[in-house]
Amino acid sequence: MSSKGQHVVPNGAKWAVRRAGAGRASGVFSTQKEAIARGRELAMSQGTELYVHGQDGRIRERSSFGKDVFPPKG
Amino acid sequence: MSDPKFEDSVFINCPFDEDFEPILQAILFCVLYLGKKPRLATERNDSGENRLEKIRGLIESSKYSIHDLSRCQATKKGEHFRLNMPFELGIDYGCRQYFGNGRSEKRFLILEEKKYRFQAAISDISGSDIVAHGADFGKAVKAVRNWLVSEAGVNSVGATRILAEYVVFQEWYWEKKLAEGASEGEIKEYPTAELMMAMEEWIGLGKPI
Repeated sequence: MSSKGQHVVPNGAKWAVRRAGAGRASGVFSTQKEAIARGRELAMSQGTELYVHGQDGRIRERSSFGKDVFPPKG
Repeated sequence: MSDPKFEDSVFINCPFDEDFEPILQAILFCVLYLGKKPRLATERNDSGENRLEKIRGLIESSKYSIHDLSRCQATKKGEHFRLNMPFELGIDYGCRQYFGNGRSEKRFLILEEKKYRFQAAISDISGSDIVAHGADFGKAVKAVRNWLVSEAGVNSVGATRILAEYVVFQEWYWEKKLAEGASEGEIKEYPTAELMMAMEEWIGLGKPI
């Protein structure tokens, strides 16, 4: 069901970009904005989803750059 | 379904409010990932069952307990601090001391949001080891992981690995919910009982990526 998306996750006082299942983060950034920009770049090039997590660790936003089987409604 | 074994059960005594929910859910993931079974007062919805009786049953049938005292101080004027958590810690302590029948083997982890704050609210336990998580889900996971490794002898999986797997689970959960016809708004409500069932399902399926 899953497609190994890119995730922007809190990393202490910083933000990391991590592919689901990857052993380590592909990048750590000072701001969430920078991390989202890098995560979007990677998701677009890999044709996958980008999941942005909140400071509380939970996914708060999903953007699809692949064949989105479940596009946003409305 | 039969109740989980005493040795596998982890009673979770924590605030059930919206602000604490993400920390609770991360703790639940950590406990399940390390092979234990979280036991919550909200796990059964029988209105005819007395809440205190339910809690007593959970305490007696759990070898391990996580007590989070993060709501020991009111956050604004006129608000009451919450007594349920220290009360249930007291029941658990009594169970360990007086129940007999192997309950002296019970193990506790006491968590708090801020270091030393509990000493003013409940000084009787000032000699106990209490771990502060700073309302950070990652620190809470680390505290639970360290405690389960040292006290329950679970496999020594690193906290970083557990948090990375939490990311994998969340992606799986999000896609599963979309496939079931949920809207993104509905998914973001993250109902704890449903999330916990999904965590168990994900683990049962072999933690798919």
